[in-house]
Amino acid sequence: MARRVLYGIPVAAGIAVGRAHFLDRDWFARASYHPIAPDAVEKEQDRLRQAFAAAALDLERVLAAVPEDLRDHAAMVEAHLLLVRDRKLQEQALAAIAAQKINAEWALERAVAAVEATFTAIEDEYLRSRMQDIRQAAERVLGVLVGQAGAASMTQRGVLLARDLSPADLVEIDFAKVLALATASGGKTSHVGILARSLQIPAVVGVEGLDGTLAGELIILDGFHGRVLVDPDEDELARSTELAARFDDYQAVVLRSCHLPAQTRDGFQVQTLANIELFEEVVAVRDLGAEGIGLYRTEYTYMNRETPPSEEELAEQYLDLASIMAPQKVVIRTLDVGADKLTSALSHRREANPALGLRAIRYCLRHREVFRTQLRAILRASVVGNVHLLLPMVSGIEELVEVKKFYREVQRELAAEGVPFREDMPFGIMMELPSAVMTADVLAQEVDFFSIGTNDLIQYTLGIDRTNKDVSALYQPLHPAIVRSIKWVVDSGHRAGIDVCVCGELAADPFCVPVLLGMRVDAISLNPRSIPSIKRLIRQTTMEECDALLKQVMASQSVMRSNRLVREMIYRHVPDELLFSVSLLGEEVGG
Amino acid sequence: MDRGAVGMTHENGSWTREVQVVNPLGIHARPAGKICQTAGRFTSQIFLETEAGAVDAKSILDILTLAAPRGTRVCIRAHGPDAQEAVEAVAQLFVDRFGEE
Repeated sequence: MARRVLYGIPVAAGIAVGRAHFLDRDWFARASYHPIAPDAVEKEQDRLRQAFAAAALDLERVLAAVPEDLRDHAAMVEAHLLLVRDRKLQEQALAAIAAQKINAEWALERAVAAVEATFTAIEDEYLRSRMQDIRQAAERVLGVLVGQAGAASMTQRGVLLARDLSPADLVEIDFAKVLALATASGGKTSHVGILARSLQIPAVVGVEGLDGTLAGELIILDGFHGRVLVDPDEDELARSTELAARFDDYQAVVLRSCHLPAQTRDGFQVQTLANIELFEEVVAVRDLGAEGIGLYRTEYTYMNRETPPSEEELAEQYLDLASIMAPQKVVIRTLDVGADKLTSALSHRREANPALGLRAIRYCLRHREVFRTQLRAILRASVVGNVHLLLPMVSGIEELVEVKKFYREVQRELAAEGVPFREDMPFGIMMELPSAVMTADVLAQEVDFFSIGTNDLIQYTLGIDRTNKDVSALYQPLHPAIVRSIKWVVDSGHRAGIDVCVCGELAADPFCVPVLLGMRVDAISLNPRSIPSIKRLIRQTTMEECDALLKQVMASQSVMRSNRLVREMIYRHVPDELLFSVSLLGEEVGG
Repeated sequence: MDRGAVGMTHENGSWTREVQVVNPLGIHARPAGKICQTAGRFTSQIFLETEAGAVDAKSILDILTLAAPRGTRVCIRAHGPDAQEAVEAVAQLFVDRFGEE
């Protein structure tokens, strides 16, 4: 076959070369669909019942074969087993045989299609794609009907191709033989990606044009760019082998060096902190080289309960975290949710526009008892470690003055009760509303540090709901309005002599970090997973390069030009990142 | 109206409790399976209600069509001899994030 390239969505990094093995399970496309005689209805219904029973037995066998350490995966297989056992699907198909006088295969297809129709209306992309689970479960039944049940096997090492892989398939496949895998269906969140990443097998899903004709072909599977190269030439083979070796080195180096400081080659150091939500994440924070916790989101403790947590419960959590991290810092952000995210106890009437409603600090100022309890718990933790207090969504100076007044009041209460706390615990605010950004020079006089929350700042500044796919393309981290906002906040903070940290996804984006360095941010706080590669990137750049880049980006009038500038800079100085990283800037960045 | 264990209410022979989906991916196949298995252990009729409607908590197919993403509020309702225990058991799955990170 002639050389060609197929494109899909990269879900697991890496590159591999091998012969294609096509896993054919597309019974729905190949089954025979025909009408039956009225007196054959009962016989056909029996055939279908037996197929459901046999498929259930088969899945029970698969379930028993799931290794101990893949318990999550076992639950997926179990879900498919429950789907096969679900009365509704079977009853619908049985009814279709009787009513429409069609064979079992056709009736099953009809029943699945009926469920599918209810799924197309689902808004959430991930949940909509769960229709796949129902089809895969039904496929097991169909496999029995067409006499094709049984394990998926790979006899020799190669690149596994399939239209689709069900959780049961994933158990049956011997992954020691799989060099890489690609499927025609699936999206960013599919379980194939999750499994491939955990097994460190390069993978591409949603590949257009992937079918059985590729079986036996020599293939390069490129899990960085989402490409499947069929029948590549010698040049491409040589290049991909080299790239694979370089990626192995890169991964090893990144992890091995994650405990070195994030210092540029010309000696500028930036504190690299972690964002966490659960106490359990502390292990990852330690292992991946974070120098403290730059953002502890406290919302989780407040969710799914009738009454808000008590001071004791909160204090215990905060004390544990502060003492285990000491002397490194722990920035505790107070409750950052709106009424819409809390269950009965803390909620009240529905809001038309929760993002602009009674949330975060506004909510706390309205519900003083909830706020008091949390502030007391944080103050109590301040004596055992390096605790910082961070307030979300502050909109301006009046609000800040009001919060500080209340904070003093709480401090006085504790003092009167003889409860120890650090009076000079650093007090900071999130800079995430355009109104706070514009008045950063004023606010800087009143606090000990700023933390720029880029996710919300971008959303509020550009007026974009990122989860709305119709406008998500307008989410541009390097929009001149965003770059100028961040720069102004950093400069205002520094003029007042306070530290400025950037948290949010922008701080984990290799293409945005050099711009932040040029601005001289004091710290970045990001998800623990991204810390090793971001620290390595910082160690490979110089402040001189970052300064030059920032100057150009500040002068740039368009997002496109800014994106190109950062891309060129990364390409010149840290080319590995260009190949191996994922960026917010858009698809073309990695290419 | 009568208040039982945490957040439970009892009215006209049925027990209810409101919970919220807090696991990041919402109620996908795995959580739906857990709900269906847990509900199946009780003799009471058990329903999950959202703004979109009510579904049978003993049918995984039904639960999946509920399509509840993170943040959705779900009211668990049960009638029958073991209704209170059933609501409590199903609610606990939500509280525990279905065992997910």
